[in-house]
Amino acid sequence: MTDDELVSRQQPVQEDMTMQQRVWRFERVGWYLLVVIVLLGLAGVFGNGPLSNAQVTSADGRLHVEYQRLSRSGTTDSLRITVRGSAREPIMVQLDGSLLREASIETLQPQPQASLSQGKAILLQLGTSEDGIATLYLTLRSEYVGTLECAVRAGPSSAVHFSTFLFP
Amino acid sequence: MDSIIRAAGMYIALMLLFRVAGRRSLADLTTFDFVLLLIIGEATQQALLGDDFSFTNAMLVIATLIVLDVGLSLAKLNSKPLARLLDGHATLVVEHGRFLHHRIHRARLTEDDILESARDSQGIEKVEQIKFAIVERNGKISIIPNE
Repeated sequence: MTDDELVSRQQPVQEDMTMQQRVWRFERVGWYLLVVIVLLGLAGVFGNGPLSNAQVTSADGRLHVEYQRLSRSGTTDSLRITVRGSAREPIMVQLDGSLLREASIETLQPQPQASLSQGKAILLQLGTSEDGIATLYLTLRSEYVGTLECAVRAGPSSAVHFSTFLFP
Repeated sequence: MDSIIRAAGMYIALMLLFRVAGRRSLADLTTFDFVLLLIIGEATQQALLGDDFSFTNAMLVIATLIVLDVGLSLAKLNSKPLARLLDGHATLVVEHGRFLHHRIHRARLTEDDILESARDSQGIEKVEQIKFAIVERNGKISIIPNE
């Protein structure tokens, strides 16, 4: 009986059951594909999830950066930079890379004591607390699509490098 | 430039998504389907226009969508295989008073859906009174009664 149903009828309409079966298969496969996309989205493959949250620490452990590994064009991302130095002494942090050129810094908290340019990079002077830790919160926004690089340096020995991929 | 690419990308993405959703999904609009359609429109609008709310950008996006839509319908006129591929075929689901269960299942319909259409359009009570029921290309169910 099922076999009979797969035969194309000529009356009252012209059918093409092989094609129709292909369409039904496409719908079924497409549905599973959409489920996979939704699950990946929940996991953070398209930003703002466990898979996209990333952090990197410099070799000497002084510099720590939390960033988004994967994000989307046009959304705001937070970037948290923590530097350990000596108590009450200002620290210089240098930010460099295509991330700074392509993305605009929407907020910068707290305001650095000084902000200078150094070639293509920017140099920020941060005050430290009594335990010698300085934290800088940035929110970045970019319309760019693709991979953006960023390098953060604090002094000659502490440097981290990371990249962010922006989906369209 | 990017607004044109965005509009074209959105057109193709939506066409694929609605093809996956199938003919049935938005053909018979219930209140919920209508709300769903509005939400889809709202979600699309943000990505189409981005941050640019200028008149020029809106016109560019609309022009791109119309060019694609009319272009596609012209292409369908000229190529029958393409039209078949994009629009699909009508499918028979009731033949001489007998349900074609396998087809009904694959088309994500129920027998009640067909009987509802039969009552609605022809005032038919039983499946035996239906000569043919056809799922049309737009998802509507046409009923041809027995004489």
